[in-house]
Amino acid sequence: MEVLIKLDRVTKTYHMGEVTVNALRETTMDVFQGEILVILGPSGSGKSTLLNIMGGMDLPTTGEMIFLGENLSQASDHRLTSYRRNEIGFVFQFYNLIPDLTGKENVELAADLVDEPLDVHEVLKDVGLADRMDHFPSQMSGGEQQRVSIARAAVKNPRLLLCDEPTGALDYQTGKLILSLLAKINQDHGSTVVIVTHNTPIGDMAHRVVRMRDGTIADIKENTSPLPPERIEW
Amino acid sequence: MSALNNKLWRTISKTKGQFIAVVAVVVVGVAVYIGMTTAYYNLNASKEKFYRDRNFADYYFQVVKAPQQVTKQIETIPGVAGVTGRIQKDVSLVNDFNKRATARLTSYTMPVEYEINSLQLLTGRFFAAETASQPGEPIRTGDIEILVDPQYAEGNLLDFGDTVNIVAEGKIVPLTVVGTATGPEFIYLMKDAGTLLPDPKTFGIIMISRERAEEILNLKGQINQVLISLVPGADADRVARQVEDVLEPYGNLASYPRKQQLSNAMLEAELDGLRASSRFMPAIFLGIAAAIQFVILSRMVRSQRLQIGIMKALGYRSRQVILHYTGYSVLVALCGAFLGTLFGLALSSFMSDTYAMYFNLPTTIGAVNTQAIVYGFVFSIVISTLAGLTACRSVVTINPAESMRPEPPKGGGKTLIEDWLWLWHRLDTAWKMSIRSAARNRGRFGITTIGVVFAVGMLVMSLFTLDAVDYMINKHYYQDQRYDYLVRFASPVKESELLNIERVEGVQKSEPLLEVPVKINFNGKSEDDVITGLEPGATLKRLSDQHEHPIEVPGEGMLISQRTINKLGAKVGDMVEVETLLGIGPSRQTPVKIVGISNQLVGGGCFVSLQQANLLLQVRQLVSGVMLKMDPVFSTGLEAELEEMTAVSSILSRQKELDNFNKNMEASLYSISVLVIFSLLLGFAIVYNSSVISFSERQRELASLRVLGFSIKEVSGILLKENLLQSLLGVALGLPFGYLMVKGYISAVNTDLYSLPVIIYPATYVYAVLGSFFFIIVAHLLAVRGVKQLQLVEVLKNKD
Ligand SMILES: Nc1ncnc2c1ncn2[C@@H]1O[C@H](COP(=O)(O)OP(=O)(O)OP(=O)(O)O)[C@@H](O)[C@H]1O
Ligand SMILES: [Mg+2]
Repeated sequence: MEVLIKLDRVTKTYHMGEVTVNALRETTMDVFQGEILVILGPSGSGKSTLLNIMGGMDLPTTGEMIFLGENLSQASDHRLTSYRRNEIGFVFQFYNLIPDLTGKENVELAADLVDEPLDVHEVLKDVGLADRMDHFPSQMSGGEQQRVSIARAAVKNPRLLLCDEPTGALDYQTGKLILSLLAKINQDHGSTVVIVTHNTPIGDMAHRVVRMRDGTIADIKENTSPLPPERIEW
Repeated sequence: MSALNNKLWRTISKTKGQFIAVVAVVVVGVAVYIGMTTAYYNLNASKEKFYRDRNFADYYFQVVKAPQQVTKQIETIPGVAGVTGRIQKDVSLVNDFNKRATARLTSYTMPVEYEINSLQLLTGRFFAAETASQPGEPIRTGDIEILVDPQYAEGNLLDFGDTVNIVAEGKIVPLTVVGTATGPEFIYLMKDAGTLLPDPKTFGIIMISRERAEEILNLKGQINQVLISLVPGADADRVARQVEDVLEPYGNLASYPRKQQLSNAMLEAELDGLRASSRFMPAIFLGIAAAIQFVILSRMVRSQRLQIGIMKALGYRSRQVILHYTGYSVLVALCGAFLGTLFGLALSSFMSDTYAMYFNLPTTIGAVNTQAIVYGFVFSIVISTLAGLTACRSVVTINPAESMRPEPPKGGGKTLIEDWLWLWHRLDTAWKMSIRSAARNRGRFGITTIGVVFAVGMLVMSLFTLDAVDYMINKHYYQDQRYDYLVRFASPVKESELLNIERVEGVQKSEPLLEVPVKINFNGKSEDDVITGLEPGATLKRLSDQHEHPIEVPGEGMLISQRTINKLGAKVGDMVEVETLLGIGPSRQTPVKIVGISNQLVGGGCFVSLQQANLLLQVRQLVSGVMLKMDPVFSTGLEAELEEMTAVSSILSRQKELDNFNKNMEASLYSISVLVIFSLLLGFAIVYNSSVISFSERQRELASLRVLGFSIKEVSGILLKENLLQSLLGVALGLPFGYLMVKGYISAVNTDLYSLPVIIYPATYVYAVLGSFFFIIVAHLLAVRGVKQLQLVEVLKNKD
């Protein structure tokens, strides 16, 4: 399998006054094209930090982040923005929709950024929101908002979909629905999907599962027969 | 970028009130700019054109009388481009409507086009040069044709063919009006600098052919005035001195440059004032509008930190995000500039109409000034954009990953005042909250305060005009000038002849005066002025010194006018050389000691004792006029009797001058009200914005208080206190600031001829304070309307 992202001894250190926090220490791993990768780990283990570095939201303190052969570890703000714009779709725990825009407009906000976006209507239909797309986020349930958020990430047809606790604020049923949508995007468009969660069973839907502890990778497990999310129980 | 545009629209419609308020401020700024600039350019352009077309003179020379040929000699002086010799003389007018008035008889040589200060026919036709009567025959009605200035014609209902009667050389001469005309020296018509305002009922211009003027005034082949135009680049003073030398044998009375020509000086003063206002008013409004936009956008960027992070995570560039937010202020500017242009055009046409009323200009002055419109747009857009960009510059530093983490609390901590424990403990909780919030938002607090300072300053300044006028009226008509009538004679008469007037029924008191036009020489410099001789102890005219303290007419020596002493560079105690310019008899020179300064608000002038004035002329017991105090019941009778006396040249009635003054004040009242409204709007906009923002910033806090059981009134009270904290500081600073603005404005428009006193009555400060309370309270009430609708559950649940 082809390597999409290569992380080589990536560290991330935060300074807060006199305290230094080592959010990541010498983390080395690859993300393969087309896979579903689940990152598990306890709170504070550095999952979000890792995801943010992969997504070009943050730069590593030391080490390298290589995307399709291009070293982005010291990329300019301009380059990182293009990277996020053209290659990445984000899904956040708290949906993070723009409150002043309707569901559809939130998706358009992303579609406006790329030359060849997917059809906004189609994508909204795919996430099952065709009839609610003109509502504002405040008029939607959490699950609906998260579906808008997935549509917004998917509409750019990105190579990499990064999801930070996408089900964290949702109930069981809704959570499963969201995970199936992500699996479907992975299938239909071949997008690589990285899901961060501390919910171990979700690992069952992944091709590979990465476990993190204290800012570094404890182990990586391959999953030869990933389950469809509908069949996962937790 | 369509989704972003939708976001912008939603943002605007969510903050409608603020948007409208700030647009309104821009509208005023742009409207005032376009209106005043257009009016300025139009007025200036038609002045320039008129001056050029009609060869407006560069220098004026007044002589007793000189032969016509002297102009040929002056023509040869290097630097002189053109010369016109003419007769100009003030004569008494008698007609049915207007009792006694003064006409400035001005002669023209046909064809007028080549004359300096030629005239422009407005209605009717030119006067004929010849009389219908034979030489030697008495002049009959219809014999002599004249043109009059349009305001005089209008003010006295004169029509083609109507007759006006003047008193010339002791005879009543009927003149026939054949049209109206104006000239570049008659744009603003006032008799002299001592008059406060034009009054077409008592003063007008009569334009007449030279031949007829010579005949009426008995000046065959003579002139008494020389006008010259200069070659570009010529040294005016040097040329003037040479001309004076040529005219020396004919009795130089006065010479003055264009700058001191009354009409021109008044017009220039108006233009100066207009230019000053057209700069500083828009600057204030656009500046404050920019400050408001800065506050709105800074707050927006701060409160939308997460949204900005999301946009950046999606791949929006900082530049795009900044442009998105700056779009708000660009829209403010566009709406403001568009509406401002409409209002500005209306304003400029209103101003042009007003000018057309006061100034005799032949061309209409209603042109649209595209350049002003373009600049109006450019200024407002540039200023708004800069404000927007400055407010949004922090967008660059927002990191998308960090924006999604909770914002660390600001290192606010204790405020300064909390250190003063004794005071802090005396404050109630609401005050404490307000002070903390003000301290947290120092930038907004400062900007709001400054905005209020300007609004209050503008209020003071708008109202100041009323004070200044009131003060002038009071000082001039009630304190300095205590007489009801001032009667002047065509030429000085023996004091004993005053008995004729004193015996008229109702005259309670009469005091003579002798006015002598003089040239005062000191140290090589010389200034024209008028010396008035009064009886020591005179009560009908009060004099005051530069500190406004009353002073008596000195027995010996002279009280000199502030303006003249400044120009001469002399000081009290100096001896000056006084040269009389009465125009009858030879001019005489007398050394006189300056014993004090006289500070006349209007008209200036120097004062000596009546006896000293007589000495200057080397005559005895002559008077040139008399001041009368009257029982008002007998006014009409007195006026009628005075009309009968041919020696009387003019009758000034305090009542009539006041009436004229009040009539003219109506137009000013209109513009003062407009200015007051603009100032209130300015104050409202800035306070409203800051209230809306602090309300929305503190919704959660306030909602929590409501949950705790605070009433709506108590919660609004907290906001009001915060509001008052900054507004009252603004008001307190705004009052002295207003005084400074007035001072600055006055020094920008000050002229040689008159100066408005920087007088602000305490009541004006009170009104300004009341006005600011008004806009503060209205803004507050509108801003906290939302307290009632505060959805407690919603607010506490939502993050943003
Ligand atoms: N901007 C930051 N400044 C300071 N410390 C940070 C910052 N971001 C993350 N950290 C710290 O780095 C460590 C790793 O954080 P990270 O958010 O990656 O953990 P996580 O695995 O995502 O945890 P959770 O499951 O709670 O989301 C934590 O100790 C966190 O406090
Ligand atoms: Mg996390």
